[in-house]
Amino acid sequence: MSRPKKVRSTTQTVAAYVRSNAKHVRRTQMQHHAGTESVRTATHRGHEIVVKTRYDITIDGRPVTGHLGVSNDGHVHYHPIPNLSFASALDMVKAIIDVFPDRFTSKARGKKRDKHPSHH
Amino acid sequence: MAVTRRNILTDATARGQYALGVNLLKREFTGPTTASLGIPGTSRRISTYDLFVVWHHTAMSTMTPPQQGDRNAAHRGPVFFPWHRFMLLQLELNLQRVLNDDTFGLPYWDWAADGAGTPSQQRRSALWNAGAMGGTGSPVRTGPFRFNSNDPDGFRVRIEVDANGRLVQSNRGLRRNLGRSIPTLPTKVDTAGAIDMTPYDAPDWNTASPGFRNRAEGWSPPEAPALHNRVHVWVGGDMLPSSSPNDPVFYLNHCNEDRMWEAWMTRHGRTYVPLQTAPASLRGHRLNDQMLSLISAAMRPADVLDVRSLYVYDSLDV
Repeated sequence: MSRPKKVRSTTQTVAAYVRSNAKHVRRTQMQHHAGTESVRTATHRGHEIVVKTRYDITIDGRPVTGHLGVSNDGHVHYHPIPNLSFASALDMVKAIIDVFPDRFTSKARGKKRDKHPSHH
Repeated sequence: MAVTRRNILTDATARGQYALGVNLLKREFTGPTTASLGIPGTSRRISTYDLFVVWHHTAMSTMTPPQQGDRNAAHRGPVFFPWHRFMLLQLELNLQRVLNDDTFGLPYWDWAADGAGTPSQQRRSALWNAGAMGGTGSPVRTGPFRFNSNDPDGFRVRIEVDANGRLVQSNRGLRRNLGRSIPTLPTKVDTAGAIDMTPYDAPDWNTASPGFRNRAEGWSPPEAPALHNRVHVWVGGDMLPSSSPNDPVFYLNHCNEDRMWEAWMTRHGRTYVPLQTAPASLRGHRLNDQMLSLISAAMRPADVLDVRSLYVYDSLDV
């Protein structure tokens, strides 16, 4: 076990490290998970089990493309809402609407459609 | 010399310095822009404070390893405590810099103490006074992070996450909805139950694992969301999405979680699993794996198991 030493930050070190690590941010910005497939695996009495679940979710006709996962107990979670998991995908989608109110006002719906008519 | 991290409700100096430092970091721009990080829209400078928002979301969106969909680079697995300790250390260092005070220590919020009250009392805790973190609302209109439509340089949420999990630009006030999604905070019974648990973590190393990490993160029974997760959900508003560091209360919650980890290690030993001999399927969560970094050199879980040369807590009575 090592004991960390205090390494002071400066505005220059912050800028330099962000430049070198920006690729991590850009990569996650490119992720697109429309039609998420979840794969769960387990072993039972020596048999390999694979359960694939595919979710195609839309809200007001537009795909939900954030990362969705399914735990081994069957609960679903949505990484943009990281502190909750749901017994039902429907409950999860209702929470998405609640947590992102700007996205799902009628004004926002119209604006998005106008702005990105060919996106989905 | 190690700094001391204190209870924000009992230390007015730490409370005031924390609010001041956060607002200074909100107004500091070191060079990174939205364009340089792939955030759409007209390119704008990103403040040092908002870089922490970007960092947290990026870690949360990075599956570790990529072949599975549960554990990410900061949550839902063993690295939860080390990664957030790393993040808090970096915030503390940057606050010390802008405050020009090497003795500044991050304050913590002992939310389980507030959890002893009725739901109404919890919402009226002194933490939410104008002289502390400000109150609830959309936007928050009291306290050091209040929204002022006439002050474009005031506290604004500038980077947030959209419903599809991508970082986008915004320009609005902070949002909180105290006690709306869930009526009560965790209690001392909850924290004591977590501290009693061993080992630190265990197979399957995820949200179904027995052990301290999963209990304290808030996934395991008796009632989820619990502990850390429950505090996020109880505060609501900007504490709900993966851009939750937008609310400075984020760090008070995690500082208390870090205090819990320190209390656990004081009782059970400075041990961590999985060790580096664990299979590659646990990459990103093993003892010597590099943790995802944005604004500093990377650290490993092994680097943050004993931080007593950097900081101590005024109390480990969690």
